[in-house]
Amino acid sequence: METDSTPMDDSLPSPGEPRREDQHRTPSPSTLLPKTQPNGFYGKHRLAAAISNLQNQINYLQEELDQLEEIGEASIVCKELISSVESIPDPLLPLSKGPTNINWDRWFKGAQNSRKRWI
Amino acid sequence: MSVAELKARHVAATETVNSLRERLQQKRLLLLDTDDLIEVVAVAGYAKAHGKSSVSFGATDLVCCRTLQGHTGKVYSLDWTPEKNRIVSASQDGRLIVWNALTSQKTHAIKLPCAWVMTCAFSPTGQFVACGGLDSVCSIFNLNSPSDKDGNLPESKMLSGHKGYVSSCQYVPDEDTHLITSSGDHTCVLWDITTGLRTSVFGGEFQSGHTADVLSVSINGSNSRMFVSGSCDSTARLWDTRVASRAVRTFHGHEGDVNTVKFFPDGNRFGTGSDDGTCRLFDIRTGHQLQEYYQQHSDDEVRHVTSIAFSISGRLLFAGYSNGDCYVWDTLLAQVVLNLGSLQNSHESRISCLGLSADGSALCTGSYDTNLKIWAFGGHRKVI
Repeated sequence: METDSTPMDDSLPSPGEPRREDQHRTPSPSTLLPKTQPNGFYGKHRLAAAISNLQNQINYLQEELDQLEEIGEASIVCKELISSVESIPDPLLPLSKGPTNINWDRWFKGAQNSRKRWI
Repeated sequence: MSVAELKARHVAATETVNSLRERLQQKRLLLLDTDDLIEVVAVAGYAKAHGKSSVSFGATDLVCCRTLQGHTGKVYSLDWTPEKNRIVSASQDGRLIVWNALTSQKTHAIKLPCAWVMTCAFSPTGQFVACGGLDSVCSIFNLNSPSDKDGNLPESKMLSGHKGYVSSCQYVPDEDTHLITSSGDHTCVLWDITTGLRTSVFGGEFQSGHTADVLSVSINGSNSRMFVSGSCDSTARLWDTRVASRAVRTFHGHEGDVNTVKFFPDGNRFGTGSDDGTCRLFDIRTGHQLQEYYQQHSDDEVRHVTSIAFSISGRLLFAGYSNGDCYVWDTLLAQVVLNLGSLQNSHESRISCLGLSADGSALCTGSYDTNLKIWAFGGHRKVI
């Protein structure tokens, strides 16, 4: 059963607390509104255009964030991969982490091995 | 919409833009320590940027030190024991042969009830071998049981239920009691060998899964509840044995049948080989394709990847191709560092299967030329 959890709306200031808007370092959104004309019609168009513009910016920024997220992840994954590969001694590599194991070379020893029971 | 409503939307949108800009700035700061942001998405780019140099083999470093002769037909599959030096191989001649790879001796030659075998596997204790093929059945043989009056080893169990050929099988590590098969019926199955029953079916007509023949399986050596499968539907899928209803993840990218899949030693990635001529490395947690392994050629020769194996550290990827090549790839730098197919003493025909010994000291290749060969490092080793 899926439950929808919505976070508590904490943007409403409680009594006695300064308004959150005043604490923003970036200009308050309400001061960036385009000036509206008295009859409201011209203002609507401008507003709608401005909103559309903002939406495009949002899409673009989100895309960039997603890309950086992916690169960040991929970079961590690559780092991990290299570190895992370099930490294991590998008999088939000319240059490898140790320790080596004398049994690795059993394939090149002579007849002495066939006297042992391997089964 | 009223002006008031529009104003409210504008305010909200501006807030979102500001917050996204802040996050972006923080993210960029965090990534500043990686030198080339663009190239890190593939492993080779990252490795090169961090000064890794390619593995370099001398001319006589990797050598063929044994040739196992005995099959009279194409070798289709092979598997090592988890301990010691034994190998089981399956051939078009309708037989399984168990070899001591060190002495080249054959310890068992099992004539199969159904000659059309495609896959074989050793059990973790080395006491049993399993095989499957066009009969749609996975047969289990106990190597310690006596032969019957005709000198044949009787089947100790038959796992029936697949509605198509059994293309690949692997025992679940640490238990002789469970194995996983892949089939032409589009499913993979986890079997309880003791009862002979299917514990779980992955995919198939009532569940989501592969949409074409499944050709290969590989169980995660670090977490035996996870396995990957490769299919003619061009995808590889990651499964959790506890959840048969759907794959954990589906990996796209290949443009042809995925003939072979193999988990990477650290258990967090796996490799694939395909009819599209490429091998790929995928990360199971992020789902990303980390690297593609493909060498361009000027001719029209078809080069399907038939089988792959990783060296014990994962630094080398061995890939057998349908044209007889057997490339040794440096997995980190995506470069071919050797072609076993062109070495002296190599197979005379395509390499159909590959496998690494448990301690990583030897690679076994099986070929359509009816032989198996053992390759090991005979050069001078430098320890870091």
